[in-house]
Amino acid sequence: MPSTQPIIEVQNLVAKYGDKTVLHDVSTRIFPSEVRVILGGSGCGKTTLLKHIIGLLKPFSGTIRVFGTPIGDLDSPETTDVLKRVGITYQNGALLGSLTVGENIALPLRMHTTLPESIIREMVIMKLSQVDMPHAADLYPGELSGGMRKRAAVARALAMDPPLLFCDEPSAGLDPVTSAGLDDLLLRLREALGITIVVVTHELLSIQTIADNIIFLHKGTLLFDGSLRDARALTRGPLYDFFERHAEDSGSDAAATSAPGGENHS
Amino acid sequence: MWKFDTIRSWPKQAIFYIWACLSPAAGINMHEESPDISAHSQSLAMPEKLTKEWVAANRIPPVRRESDLVLDMTRTRLLDSAGAALVHLLDRECRRAGSRLVLQGIDRKVQATLASWTKDMPGEEPEAEALPGAALVALGEQGLAFAREVTTALSVLAEILYWGTFGLLKRRDYRRGVLGEQMYQLGYKAIGVTVSLAFLIGIVLSIQSALQLRQFGADVFLVAMVVWGMIREIGPLMTAIILAARSGSATTAEIATMGVQEEIDALRTMGLNHIQFVVVPKFWAISLTMPVLSLLSTTFGIVGGFAVSMFYLDLSPALFWSELTKNVILKDFVISFIKSIVFAWLIIWIGAYYGFKVKGGAEEVGRATTASVVTALFVIIIADAIFSFVYNIKF
Repeated sequence: MPSTQPIIEVQNLVAKYGDKTVLHDVSTRIFPSEVRVILGGSGCGKTTLLKHIIGLLKPFSGTIRVFGTPIGDLDSPETTDVLKRVGITYQNGALLGSLTVGENIALPLRMHTTLPESIIREMVIMKLSQVDMPHAADLYPGELSGGMRKRAAVARALAMDPPLLFCDEPSAGLDPVTSAGLDDLLLRLREALGITIVVVTHELLSIQTIADNIIFLHKGTLLFDGSLRDARALTRGPLYDFFERHAEDSGSDAAATSAPGGENHS
Repeated sequence: MWKFDTIRSWPKQAIFYIWACLSPAAGINMHEESPDISAHSQSLAMPEKLTKEWVAANRIPPVRRESDLVLDMTRTRLLDSAGAALVHLLDRECRRAGSRLVLQGIDRKVQATLASWTKDMPGEEPEAEALPGAALVALGEQGLAFAREVTTALSVLAEILYWGTFGLLKRRDYRRGVLGEQMYQLGYKAIGVTVSLAFLIGIVLSIQSALQLRQFGADVFLVAMVVWGMIREIGPLMTAIILAARSGSATTAEIATMGVQEEIDALRTMGLNHIQFVVVPKFWAISLTMPVLSLLSTTFGIVGGFAVSMFYLDLSPALFWSELTKNVILKDFVISFIKSIVFAWLIIWIGAYYGFKVKGGAEEVGRATTASVVTALFVIIIADAIFSFVYNIKF
């Protein structure tokens, strides 16, 4: 475990929707340059945890610090400054449908910086090239396939060179080959840019490819927080079940995708 | 593509190796020493942090023809994508100007970062040449697109009319009770707003007319004006305008959303006729309720006129009634009825057409709804004008 300061620190987070407690006393720390996977079945609170970290939801109790700054109201200047250094991709891409892909990526650059237009155009092409779709700048999100939309969302998340990238279910709704391509992209970005990546997913294949460390949530409780290898070494408990059941389900998929590996899918 | 012959310094092999690993496609000249820079070169010192802040704060250095641009990157330790974009942009402009960009004394780590940013970027693309007669081609394409749209619109109308009438003999793909539901939604719920608006318009119109008529002592003609205006024009027209805004837009939004969420496709693959399932109930509901609504708003408009003539012009109710019966003929009611039916069909046709037209995402639903209402209002008023002409032709 690196001895540096954690990038994200979650302390005793309790989250409620109405009377229903969704997260029970979750604490964890995420360090620079790691790929951390938040893992768990449907409805276990993965996305809720993510939304708390980026300030979309307010914790019932507990504190969250990102880059050492406590996350508060989304409109407060401190939180805005933190969020400028965070890239987020949402489940469905969340590209603005009325803007082209290029304008979507240029949006944070235009709003948060005073860069000249020629540099912004260059950066848009650069970001799009990093996700293998350099010629998509003038297309509208509606004209893209699901996989391209997700990659475009990653490009937009990278627009401000964030040291921290959140991905909410990057492979949901994608075929194994495309999602393997997306995983490959995340790893390449980490290698090239040294960014910290937090991924929310329940895809076992993705986890095995990209995760350094994992957090396992089960019914709103944090059951496991440690390296992937330690997680695989478990012999019982819900996390073991999770791995085993998935392995049975996706055994054939794993065989199918391991051969082409990190191909490009443009 | 990057040319290796520009490297003359000793670590040729090593640099070649690093470049082969890092940047197979990058096209930026890297020089640790720069032996063959042209005499007219200009040199620029780059800062320690070549980041967004610096790029935003400084002017992009101009590129001159036949004059190499040297970026002194000895101090640079940090480079973000804005910095990389600046280098890449300058490199491209230098090429275009026939000169070169030279990065002097660049740090290994910075070089690797730069390569990782820019290695995947596409090379130069030839700019598309404008074809001769492009305007003519564009005009032709627009004409074709318009023709296609008209064809689609007419085919939607044909489908609605067919599946709403003869098609019902073949199949009945609507849910039980849907007609009543739609009549409640499209008709019953519109009664309040239609009636109250018609009443107010009746009052306003008669007051304005009464002011004029009273000057000539022709008070009694107010009755004929209000009654004719209401039955022939305002009644059906106001109802149509309200229903276009209320139900036409709702129809478009509903069908468009169903299309976006693949519900229409789901219906079709379930073996159900989507026109009959979605549009035909609305078609019948609006066809049945519109004449009733139109009649109601006509009545309340006349009541408004009656109120004005009673309290403002002091006409007696008996006189109002006798004037009314004297001036109204059956033809007025027939034309009012036909008008309201035609308007109803226009509303549902335009609503359905714009709904089925939507192919993209959520933002297009909003756009289609707006277009649907505007078109419907426009077409209804044109149709009303045509009716006025036809009505006044003497048979």
